[in-house]
Amino acid sequence: MSLPMHLRAYTEKTKDELTRDLFNAPFPDQLPAPSEPPVVTKPARGAKGAIGSAAGLSSMDIIAVLSVEGKEDVYAGKLSLLPPFLCFVSNDRRSCRCTLPLYTIRRVERLNSRAGVFALSLATWHGMRIILQLTSLLPTAEHFAILLRDALKSQLAEMKVLKTFLPSLYSEYLLNSGSSTPNAEASLVDMPLEGEGDLRGPGGEGRGTYERGLGETFGFPGDARKMRERSKMKLWKEYFVIHGRNMTLLRYPPFQRLLQVGLPSRLRGELWEVMSGSVYLRFANPQTYSLLLSENAGKSSQSTDEIEKDLNRSLPEYKAYQTDEGLARLRRVLVAYSFRNPELGYCQALNIVVAGLLIYMSEEQAFWLLEVLCDRILPGYYSPSMEGTLLDQRVFESLVKRCLPMIHDHFRSVDVQISVASLPWFLSLYINSLPLIFAFRIVDCVLAMGAKVLFQIGLAILKINGEALLEVTDDGMFISLMRSYFSTIGDSAHPTHPDPRVRNITNFQELLVVAFREFNVITDETITSERRRLRAIIADEIEKFSKRAAVRNLRNVGRFNKEQVGIIYDHYFAAVCSPEAGSGAVTPAGPGELEQPRIAVDAQGRVETRIDLRTFKVLLSGIATWAREETITTNAFMQRTERRIADHEMIDRLFFMWDSQKLGTLSLQDVVMGLDRVMSADLLESIEWFFELHDKDADGYLTKDEVIRLSESLLFIFRNEPGDIYLAAVSRFILNAYEFGDATAPESSLPDPQDSVPMDGDEQTASQSRERSNSQAGPHNLPYLSLATFRMVVLADELLESFFGHDLPASFQLEDTQEEDYHKTHAKPDGLLGGLVNLVVNDENKSRFNRFADGIGSALGKHAEWRKPAISKADQNAPVPIDTRARESLLTPSQRQRVRSASSASQLSVQSNKTSASASTTNTANDSRTLADVEMRYREESEMVRAAQEAVMHRPNFAIDAIGDSDGEDEGGEDDVMDEVEAFLKAHGGDEDNALKGAEKKAAEDLLTAEPMGAPPSSSRRSTGDLVDL
Amino acid sequence: MASEDPSVKAVQVKLVLLGEAAVGKSSLVLRFVQNDFNENTSPTIGAAFLTQKCRLENRVVKFEIWDTAGQERFHSLAPMYYRNAAAAVVVYDITKAASLEKAKAWVKELQRQANPNIVIALVGNKLDLVEGADGEEASTPTEAPEAADEDAPADEDEDGTPPPPAAAPASEGPRQVSHAEAKAYADECGLLFFEASAKAGTNVQDVFTEIAKTIPLDTITPKPAAGGAQNRRSAANAAAGDASAVNLGDGAAAKKGGCC
Repeated sequence: MSLPMHLRAYTEKTKDELTRDLFNAPFPDQLPAPSEPPVVTKPARGAKGAIGSAAGLSSMDIIAVLSVEGKEDVYAGKLSLLPPFLCFVSNDRRSCRCTLPLYTIRRVERLNSRAGVFALSLATWHGMRIILQLTSLLPTAEHFAILLRDALKSQLAEMKVLKTFLPSLYSEYLLNSGSSTPNAEASLVDMPLEGEGDLRGPGGEGRGTYERGLGETFGFPGDARKMRERSKMKLWKEYFVIHGRNMTLLRYPPFQRLLQVGLPSRLRGELWEVMSGSVYLRFANPQTYSLLLSENAGKSSQSTDEIEKDLNRSLPEYKAYQTDEGLARLRRVLVAYSFRNPELGYCQALNIVVAGLLIYMSEEQAFWLLEVLCDRILPGYYSPSMEGTLLDQRVFESLVKRCLPMIHDHFRSVDVQISVASLPWFLSLYINSLPLIFAFRIVDCVLAMGAKVLFQIGLAILKINGEALLEVTDDGMFISLMRSYFSTIGDSAHPTHPDPRVRNITNFQELLVVAFREFNVITDETITSERRRLRAIIADEIEKFSKRAAVRNLRNVGRFNKEQVGIIYDHYFAAVCSPEAGSGAVTPAGPGELEQPRIAVDAQGRVETRIDLRTFKVLLSGIATWAREETITTNAFMQRTERRIADHEMIDRLFFMWDSQKLGTLSLQDVVMGLDRVMSADLLESIEWFFELHDKDADGYLTKDEVIRLSESLLFIFRNEPGDIYLAAVSRFILNAYEFGDATAPESSLPDPQDSVPMDGDEQTASQSRERSNSQAGPHNLPYLSLATFRMVVLADELLESFFGHDLPASFQLEDTQEEDYHKTHAKPDGLLGGLVNLVVNDENKSRFNRFADGIGSALGKHAEWRKPAISKADQNAPVPIDTRARESLLTPSQRQRVRSASSASQLSVQSNKTSASASTTNTANDSRTLADVEMRYREESEMVRAAQEAVMHRPNFAIDAIGDSDGEDEGGEDDVMDEVEAFLKAHGGDEDNALKGAEKKAAEDLLTAEPMGAPPSSSRRSTGDLVDL
Repeated sequence: MASEDPSVKAVQVKLVLLGEAAVGKSSLVLRFVQNDFNENTSPTIGAAFLTQKCRLENRVVKFEIWDTAGQERFHSLAPMYYRNAAAAVVVYDITKAASLEKAKAWVKELQRQANPNIVIALVGNKLDLVEGADGEEASTPTEAPEAADEDAPADEDEDGTPPPPAAAPASEGPRQVSHAEAKAYADECGLLFFEASAKAGTNVQDVFTEIAKTIPLDTITPKPAAGGAQNRRSAANAAAGDASAVNLGDGAAAKKGGCC
């Protein structure tokens, strides 16, 4: 049984994280400096606070206008310094984007321009010149420049690495193979022509040292001619010359168009890693992959076994995966990642995804892209509870409901779940569903634009097949329909249309058009907000599911019923997640380590969560009344109880007694059996386990020391009982134990005058019982008191008898923890009332409120505190003594005062509820702003839905241009590609690139010719000598 | 039985296969559906979907088979596949005691969470590994065969458990679950029980035939095969009606269904 603990540890992403995600920029902790030792296993994503501040570099956003030498377009947008990256996104978030690693910037100069314009000129590694106007107030711009300068300085070392890194990228080979000077590339040297049958596509003959995928050897899927590889390659080459390449690639409008017609096979791997940002990880962690392989060579694990089993089932139709070479690569990447991220390990479907990646990428490239996929693009998809998959399926369903209500209603009426078909789409990025050449075009878009593409494509598939889907009555029909659609995805969408241009539009092109035009209302924000809305529900479901499974899978539940076991599970889980139990993060520890709540793999290879002693104390404090310190505080307003965890050797003993396999940790099964024994025990059984608890060597005898320990345990349990009857009982117990003990002890342990040692060690605790016999000074480590004698001693005392017979078992209480609603109550800001309560009552203001109330209470003289006793016979909730008459006399005057105020407190408690309620209302006012936000967001979303519905209703005919499908790729082929490109441009809705016009553009153009200022130290930077070429 | 027209009409039965990883679920299905092993088993993501007809004396049953992924983390997806299932085949490996425990957990889960009338068959697979007489024949691997998997009893590549018994190809050596034990459990829980070999084909057909016979077909909502167009249309109409009733004046939405 393993607990889905990460679900509780989940926190929404911070603004900084979201910005980094937007730019595919990894975090600094994922990017060790070249001097640092390589990080092999995945660093725990816990130290989020340290981001940015670690290297003393700060992030900053600023409004800016960007233009590039050689391009007309000028864009206004946001410039973000996210060390070690400088990122820009245009205001429409679509037209222009870049993520520049600072180590690719050779030179920054402040430009001398008209007054009031603060402009920087950036020269990149590839000779591109970018002009940035910082349009904020001058001091802000200057501050930004200072931060930029500091960040640039810190990256000098990386710049040296860049030189050796770049040859691993195909685009370098592509642009340098023809001529040596980058500028001469503009003339576009003809690319080498391949033989007719070369499946690898144009662009090289396998020379160069660039990283390459299996396709270079075994051929890329699809027909290179039909896919117009040559033309595409030429267009990309042109694009690279002006807009930079690989690490300095700038996304300008043509990028989107080139992307959507499908990337050329040879460039695909590189563009994948550049678009997804995985290239930055590969750059910064050059040794990780090979170290992972060498350090774990020969090791086997559950993951490696599972990987082995799936190797032959991973795209077996592709030639390379029928060879040892292909399978070996696949194995190495999957195995390396399973050791990189042992918490995730291996999940079926990763084999398909990685097999796909490896066609276009080298092992190392695929490895890092896999990390980005698992971490960011498809978060939680492949984790052990697959919560990301479940969540996104739910998100998808809710989007279907919004955008395609008829299909949703129909599927609901015939009780078919869309997930039965859509789950593999998402999990394998469509690689497993569509023919490979089409699937990879979807992968292109996912890696460039994020997970929203998966949803857009999915919705488009359903919409295009809408009519047929309304005829579906069961799972089987649904699956068959989808299969037949996918098998004809390359066919003409309008085979009978008179216009040949229309006839040439394939189902796949139609799919993309529908996906990106009609469902472009599905944005990253839609997905994020839907995920946020549904996450709590999914998390609850997973927890309930794993709870059911955990309870069901217990081998033995003792005398408990299912509900009780459920409560034990809740306590167990709550303890594991509690902050007192240490870090909530699960660290899969090696067998030698004694980590906090830890994961162990049982004999059947199943993963199991076990708890350590520290967590056990938390658990027990929730169940046993004596294992916690409860302070009850009353003030004028309310009565409240504060719990802390008690600590005593007895709890440790209990832990080790329950540890059936002597592993130093307890499983849920251990806890259930342990509780079963103590909770359902009758008098004699209680006496017996309590005896065993203190009989360390289990020889059936307590030594004298152990008798003392046992009485200390009793005193510990009784510590908060009012009065001294229990104290007296323990004293009597000790006396009797020694008296009977002397009479019954085995020969060997009879008092021997020679080694009479005073019992110093026990003196301080035992001092509470002054009456203890001092005459029994004998050896303390010899068998002394048998169970029978112990039993006799206990039964001689009425109070102890009733304690063992009833109070001890009853001191273990299974109260409902209300764990089940954990997520819902926490993440339901939309529900009006629940939201209110959550907004008002958070931990911080609760304690502040309590302190405030205490203050008033003590001012009124109505503040009182007392410890709740562990054994309260009369009433569990009120501190009423067992025998009031006998006790009353023993109370000190001040104690009497407390008791009295306690009773007045309980009268007040009703009133206090009202008071606190009104206090809540006052707080509400402060939070109304937040509520308004929530409502506004809701309104925005519903407007989006309406827009989506309208788009669905008024769907015009496709305006896609014809694509000549002639086999021979003649000179006109290039135009054809551009036709297709233009079609997408039109289809994509936003024809205008939202570039700046008029005066602003003029200003930007002026800057291109502006002279650098006298290099003020604040903003210019002269990089290492040999790199300066200006 | 209420089978008035036993000639052609196929009754659809949704069947789900469950069991620990590597017990041979996919192999069983392939043996049943194609009467063969497929070198390149299609990968199971969530679940693979296959269909096969089973002819009885008086009727034809068309099985719609969901072959679920055995990996533990896919467990939480299983309810999606076993809901509404009329039959379930829970598979374990007779050479691995632990796989029976997992099978029992599946049976429990089905009995609590699935359709109350579900017919469950417990199948102990890999019978070929323990039949001494078939020792020679047993040299084809059970689970989706690996290229190098020539040694029949060496199932260790499919699971992490060490394979000491596999080393000995002796008669009953590798068997870890006795026929009697499993049979007793199946009887106690009211399950159909078989020991089968997907590899050799032993008993595979019988499993499905017996399920087909056992299923109380009158309790299954008849899924129209041929004459059901009307039925379906009316269902679609009903759905359409619902939709337009819900968003009146939203006629375009209803139109959309018909024109795309």
